[in-house]
Amino acid sequence: MPWQIVHVPDKPPSSPELSTVDVLASVIEPKLANTLVRKLNQICPLENLRHVKRVQKRSVEGKVELSVILCRQNEHESLCAGMPNDVLQLASTYQLSPYKTKVAKYAALSKEEWKEQSKLWPTSYHPSTIPYEVTGFAEEESQLIVKYMKFAMRLMTTPNGKVVNAAVIVDPLGGKIIASGNDQTLFRLPTNETISNCINGSEQSATTFSFQHGGDSLGNIPEDSKSKLLPCDFSRVSCMYPWRWTEPRSDNGKEKCDGNFSWHPLRHATLVSIENAAARDRQLFPCLEYQNNLPLRNGVCDCSENNPIKRQKIQLSENAGVISEDASPENLPSEVLRPYLCTGFDIYILWEPCVMCAMALVHQRIRRIFYAFPNPIAGALGSVYNLQGEKSLNHHYSVFRIQIPEE
Amino acid sequence: MYTFSYLILRTFQISGTKTMSDTASILSFMELALKQAKLALDRLEVPVGCVIVEKGMVIASGSNRTSETRNATRHAEMEAIDILMEQWQMEGLNFEQVAQRFSTCDLYVTCEPCIMCAAALSIIGIREVYYGCANDKFGGCGSILPLHEGASLGFSSTSSKARAFKCTGGILSAEAVALLRSFYEQGNPNAPKPHRQVRASQFQLGIGSSVDH
Ligand SMILES: [Zn+2]
Ligand SMILES: [Zn+2]
Repeated sequence: MPWQIVHVPDKPPSSPELSTVDVLASVIEPKLANTLVRKLNQICPLENLRHVKRVQKRSVEGKVELSVILCRQNEHESLCAGMPNDVLQLASTYQLSPYKTKVAKYAALSKEEWKEQSKLWPTSYHPSTIPYEVTGFAEEESQLIVKYMKFAMRLMTTPNGKVVNAAVIVDPLGGKIIASGNDQTLFRLPTNETISNCINGSEQSATTFSFQHGGDSLGNIPEDSKSKLLPCDFSRVSCMYPWRWTEPRSDNGKEKCDGNFSWHPLRHATLVSIENAAARDRQLFPCLEYQNNLPLRNGVCDCSENNPIKRQKIQLSENAGVISEDASPENLPSEVLRPYLCTGFDIYILWEPCVMCAMALVHQRIRRIFYAFPNPIAGALGSVYNLQGEKSLNHHYSVFRIQIPEE
Repeated sequence: MYTFSYLILRTFQISGTKTMSDTASILSFMELALKQAKLALDRLEVPVGCVIVEKGMVIASGSNRTSETRNATRHAEMEAIDILMEQWQMEGLNFEQVAQRFSTCDLYVTCEPCIMCAAALSIIGIREVYYGCANDKFGGCGSILPLHEGASLGFSSTSSKARAFKCTGGILSAEAVALLRSFYEQGNPNAPKPHRQVRASQFQLGIGSSVDH
């Protein structure tokens, strides 16, 4: 099975009671089941309800009881008024007594939804037909997405073999890694600083992490990284266990540090990577003194912003920053284009972020989020909350899950 | 728009056990938070400020630094928390001791903590939060998500427990809104006046919404 990129919808699947349709069904003699189903499928096929099974099998007082759907029932009609003549005839021939019941109106989008709707009446579930699995990424882009996620996977194992969350911020247009980070809630990883320094230290070293389309600079990911991954201990994944830092442990976090943190309960991988991206921004574009720190429209900022005519056109925006009404990127030399925060950037995170991290990514204006593993305990992008569907927020990103194939 | 007197009334109906001296100290801590917000305004940042109080003493303060750092997560609350984390680690406090200290701390912030900060405050295990104006776009203490209630985080089934904290809003909110309004109306003194009148009218509606905070 290949790696799959699945769109995580803004809204959770609607609850089954909201999307049901009425049908007429009848209890039948088990020995008549085949005959009746064949006849019914001929005279009254269940159009638009192909996911609904015709027959329901229940055990009532130890005996198997079969019911069959005769036809759809329109809402306001009395019990038999809406029955086609053929079905009425069949019902009288076999002395069926129709009753009204509800079935799911739409095919289930998730296993959970399928379980819920099957409580009403059995339906079939075909994961491969889930519409939002088709994400529309071109083959080339899908390969790059998988590569970036593999890069993030390299950062999730500490030197002593412990697994933490890791995040990589990518500029998809430039094919460049902007910043990375991993969890520092329990300890600071020695490797992490090397990686982030290397990436953030200068533009040159940043470009050594560039990805050419079709290039393979990530090809050296150990093949066994996944098999190590799946059965491992996730208890150090900060977004999953945000309160773990308060629990008693043997390594007591007592190491002294010089003016910084050796651990910090809020330094989840996402926040660390945002901080590293901001540090890179300040380093690469130091010429922007505060007064000139004017994020412009279209997510770019003119580093050489001293032109008084341009300055006059600058308007106050809603976000502490300032935008120009008519500055356009084509007027600006490309080397001074500076992204406003993480506008246009993507982030790759191993585990679905918690609500703190998901909101941080809203603030930092990330464009797309790719995560590999859902976080059923505290995930804010589909599992516990759907922050990406929160209408009141001023920025919205798209969320994708990358399904790593199980052997 | 919430009026000042209405909110004070509402606030102290909720916490009916407060004495007059409690009320006075709550107001004086919020004044200090407002002072921090003014410092942010002087630095041309969105004016939101906070103080963290332990045993009646201000032990840390913070104000918004999102513009200066180019890091939109550097909200006042995060700044103040980092001051304490740095200090306590220098002093050699371990995980347990840090958790214990936070659990005796209260936060006074001029604007309702956003979803990110409310989650952060729950993670560090703050005892109580007092805020000024509501944050109708991003608020994590009831306006958008009720993260201060803790249990709704969905962690209850695990060994980790979601920390709830008591949260009281509307304290000196008129002052907090006035600061925000003056930021959006005057803004960067180096930039010309905005032509968008929508800002002021939004604040008149009590939305306080354009606070990216
Ligand atoms: Zn997190
Ligand atoms: Zn905040």
